Amino acid sequence: MSEVLLELKNVTMKFGGVTALNEVNVQVKKGEILALIGPNGAGKTTIFNVITGVYKPTSGEINFNGKSLIGKKRHQVTKMGIARTFQNIRLFGESTALENVVTGADIHSKSGVIGAIFGTPRSRREEKAALDRGLELLEFMGLRKRAGQLGKNLPYGDQRRLEIARALATNPQLVLLDEPAAGFNPAEKVALAETIKRIRDAGYTVLLIEHDMSLIMGISDRVVVIDFGTKIADDLPSVVQNDPRVIEAYLGAPADAS
Amino acid sequence: MSKVTFNLRDKGAQFWDKSPRWRRVLLSVIFIAICYALPFLNNPILNTPGSDFQSVLFYPVGMYVMMAIGLNIVVGKSGLLDLGYVAFFAIGAYTMAVLGTKTSLNFWEILPIGVGLAMLSGVLLGTPTLRLRGDYLAIVTMGFGEIVRIVAVNTSAIGGSRGIAGIPTPPPAFKAKFTILDPKPYYWLLLTFTLLIIWMVRRLAARRPGRAWDAIRQDDDVAQLMGINTRRSKVWAFVLGAAVAGVGGVIYASQILSIVPDQFNLNVSILILACVVFGGIGNLWGVIVGAVILAFTPERIRFLSQPRILVFGMALVIMMNLRPDGMLPKKKREHLEADWDHVEESGEGEIK
Ligand SMILES: Nc1ncnc2c1ncn2[C@@H]1O[C@H](COP(=O)(O)OP(=O)(O)OP(=O)(O)O)[C@@H](O)[C@H]1O
Ligand SMILES: [Mg+2]
Repeated sequence: MSEVLLELKNVTMKFGGVTALNEVNVQVKKGEILALIGPNGAGKTTIFNVITGVYKPTSGEINFNGKSLIGKKRHQVTKMGIARTFQNIRLFGESTALENVVTGADIHSKSGVIGAIFGTPRSRREEKAALDRGLELLEFMGLRKRAGQLGKNLPYGDQRRLEIARALATNPQLVLLDEPAAGFNPAEKVALAETIKRIRDAGYTVLLIEHDMSLIMGISDRVVVIDFGTKIADDLPSVVQNDPRVIEAYLGAPADAS
Repeated sequence: MSKVTFNLRDKGAQFWDKSPRWRRVLLSVIFIAICYALPFLNNPILNTPGSDFQSVLFYPVGMYVMMAIGLNIVVGKSGLLDLGYVAFFAIGAYTMAVLGTKTSLNFWEILPIGVGLAMLSGVLLGTPTLRLRGDYLAIVTMGFGEIVRIVAVNTSAIGGSRGIAGIPTPPPAFKAKFTILDPKPYYWLLLTFTLLIIWMVRRLAARRPGRAWDAIRQDDDVAQLMGINTRRSKVWAFVLGAAVAGVGGVIYASQILSIVPDQFNLNVSILILACVVFGGIGNLWGVIVGAVILAFTPERIRFLSQPRILVFGMALVIMMNLRPDGMLPKKKREHLEADWDHVEESGEGEIK
């Protein structure tokens, strides 16, 4: 496939005595849906955390569009074009759905305190643009009706979708989705799979952590398997599915894939 | 009782939301007019036996309101617990006192300098310390407040513990003469600045800086991951809060004519914080109500002389038990702003 967007080279992450990631190499290519799977505690979320600057890897390199992400502040990483959602939903619960998304869209604004106080033309223009962007994304995620509701009062599924909308509002090149289908029923999972495809088709690259095998098999272009902080497979879904090491990692059962 | 006030608050907010522009303007004008007319509304219900009503309006009431609005940007909006807020007030007051007595600059020339110095100290204190969270920040800011006072006590160039006397009053403006005998012009001056600050704070709250503060208060980590430079946002909140206290300090010093360092002690920071918490942290109008009540009540019941602080303290404790979130707590209403309604309802749209 095409250009490499994100590259992790020999990334190791240690927490005291725990080695959460051990010399992990992953490449994310532009325009693909790459799934990241592995048993509980394998180190998947830790990969998201080292990419987005939540943790600084103990060693290794992370490059995005050829630029190193190591040592970058979290907000800088987001500005460079990487946005994420969270395994445990972390919305701004006291803000409305629209405010949540607009907070993400604010990343494109340059005007700050002075502009806001004096209502400069640029500030007004940017407020309007962020608002429009927010509404557009609520619409895209099917949340337009929820615009005025507080984050904490949304139904569970809408909260998950709102997190995706908020991440997309920062207009990233790469979206990191951490178990977006957790707690979904089969019908919701099918709908989410469609949404993720639409996100990719809209031009975003998607890195997805997910436990549900059928969802993964249905939408991902490639699958990376992590076990005890080590990459044990990296291939097409159909190949990974039959990889004996992967099957072993999942305790001899190829999950609910077959 | 709490049910009733809740309803009043929500009804009031609803009424405001539904009001057309002309009615909002009209109500605002009436409200502002009443505020300006307050010194003449000295009546048996509102009056303050034992102290001059018009003086009470300037200090403590007006002063507390202004300071509480400023501190609310820091504590209520951004969630930064600042226990040294009095320091910025002191810096404003000392700027007025020193420059007023040692140079020929007048009040209007000193005001921007005082505000500027307060903001500068906000940057200097905020930049290194705002990475701290919660309790740690509270301790550091409390220390800062005390340091400013102790430095003032020990610096003989600014009067040491005896402070500075003979601070000039502002030059006359709009035919109003600023003299020790007439607190009204000071009250109007303070009110004018307070209204200006309210106007600014409301704009900030509704726009990008306000959203950033909301995000930071709710979840600092996620705010960063949404691309917000949280350090810078926090320093801004701190600096704006400092600016408000600086304005207050300059005006205060020009009215009181002499200041001593011990006026600027920890109690002031705590009292202003109490106004914010008592009124309803994060809610501008709640904070204003809180400041008015906390400043006015001890004066109103001054006739009780000795036990009045005890009575006041007990009332506070009971009150905070009844309404732990304050008189008018911040409660986000679920709503659709009128101008946010123009997008048609449909299935799922496209994104660019
Ligand atoms: N901040 C931290 N401090 C110490 N250990 C950590 C920290 N973060 C993660 N770990 C450890 O790193 C390992 C990998 O955790 P991680 O959250 O990445 O797993 P995961 O693959 O996302 O698992 P799950 O499917 O349960 O979400 C675990 O053993 C975890 O305890
Ligand atoms: Mg995880």
